[in-house]
Amino acid sequence: MDDKSLLTVNVVTPDGVVYDNTTDLAVCKTTLGEVGIMPNRVPLLASLAIDEVRVKTGEDSFDEIAVSGGFIEFSNNVLSVVASSAERKENIDASRAERARARAEKRIATAKETHNVDDLRRAEVSLRRAMNRLNISKH
Amino acid sequence: MPASMQEVKRRIVSTKKTGQITGAMQMVSTAKLNQIQKHAANYQIYSSKIRSVITHLAKSHLLDSSAVSGEVGKSQDGKVNTLSMIKQRPVKKTGIVVITSDRGLVGSYNSNVIKSTMDLIKNGNHNTEDTVIIAIGGTGADFFSKRGYNIVYEYRGVSDVPTFKEIRPIVETIVSMYDNEAYDQLVVCYSHFVNTLTSVFRAEQMLPISAENMGTDDLTEQDENDYQIEYETEPSQDAILEVILPQYAESLVYGAILDAKTSEHACSSTAMKSATDNAKDVISSLELQFNRARQSAITTEITEITGAQAALD
Repeated sequence: MDDKSLLTVNVVTPDGVVYDNTTDLAVCKTTLGEVGIMPNRVPLLASLAIDEVRVKTGEDSFDEIAVSGGFIEFSNNVLSVVASSAERKENIDASRAERARARAEKRIATAKETHNVDDLRRAEVSLRRAMNRLNISKH
Repeated sequence: MPASMQEVKRRIVSTKKTGQITGAMQMVSTAKLNQIQKHAANYQIYSSKIRSVITHLAKSHLLDSSAVSGEVGKSQDGKVNTLSMIKQRPVKKTGIVVITSDRGLVGSYNSNVIKSTMDLIKNGNHNTEDTVIIAIGGTGADFFSKRGYNIVYEYRGVSDVPTFKEIRPIVETIVSMYDNEAYDQLVVCYSHFVNTLTSVFRAEQMLPISAENMGTDDLTEQDENDYQIEYETEPSQDAILEVILPQYAESLVYGAILDAKTSEHACSSTAMKSATDNAKDVISSLELQFNRARQSAITTEITEITGAQAALD
């Protein structure tokens, strides 16, 4: 196997392709834990956690992409990240995420008061999304 | 006749102004149409990705087996929740999503959708009791609430080029209402965009997700080969389906809204074009009328002058 083989990373959302690049290592956080994906790996399907996908671009540099759930599919050296929303670190609107966080916290509080389990769960998911964006934009 | 001449002149001016407005509206609609078509192309990439993965999982006979087990063994309560989206429930209530526009001036767009939806309700022997309406767009909401249908969810003000972020709350509500058994099957009625001049009414059953509405039929040979890949899955296939199915359902509904919106812009553009053309026709016939009136006024005047001259002589 030549060591120059690369894999292509596609991040697809309903609003278009967010990211498209080749790399020799991509790290994703699945619902069970982190997986590093390297070229010529066995085909893989996995569900993603609300976290980041890191794509190696150089010796010590990574492109970071915030994803809100979704799944990854890897076959023929193409890694497709299919998520309902995804942003590159540079494109994260921190103030918007901050507002979303405040909103989600308020919703959690009201849902707890009214004992609305559905609402609570949904609010928690949006809080996690907002926190994820904030975390990634900060480091 | 000077009075009628002035009248005709006024009408020419007002028709010209209307024509100008409709002409501008046509251009706006065309621009929006272009925009949304670009957006739809982006969405297509996403939906085909999801579809291919779903189809792959379906191929590995997972869908069929769990659908069967859902039908036979209702006692397996554990299974009900996890894969509720592919389980066929006995249909007590039908949810119908009607996608219409908020505004008028879109030609026959709204009336087509509403008429075909009413036909669908009639042919399916549904009535106001066993049907719930989810209205996206004001026209449909008003129509069905006036006729006594139960509208469980109503959304107005879909933007011209809807983004997924914007539509997400709607889509999530629709899917979660299905989960909560507010209805046992979900049909989405909308106008499908074919090209700028034609739109076709489409009613698609989106939930429960079944093999038929997964579009496995229109696979090419090439696709078939792609699905032969053996995937390693993490966590289990069931768990992945649990993630993908809601995402798939959401993407289907979003796709329908996008398609309907595209069709709306196309209809609006066509309607405005014909209105502008019509205005031009009206103006030219009015101008003819105006010139005739002016000519006859001049003729009368000349006759009068020559008449008076002859009397003097």
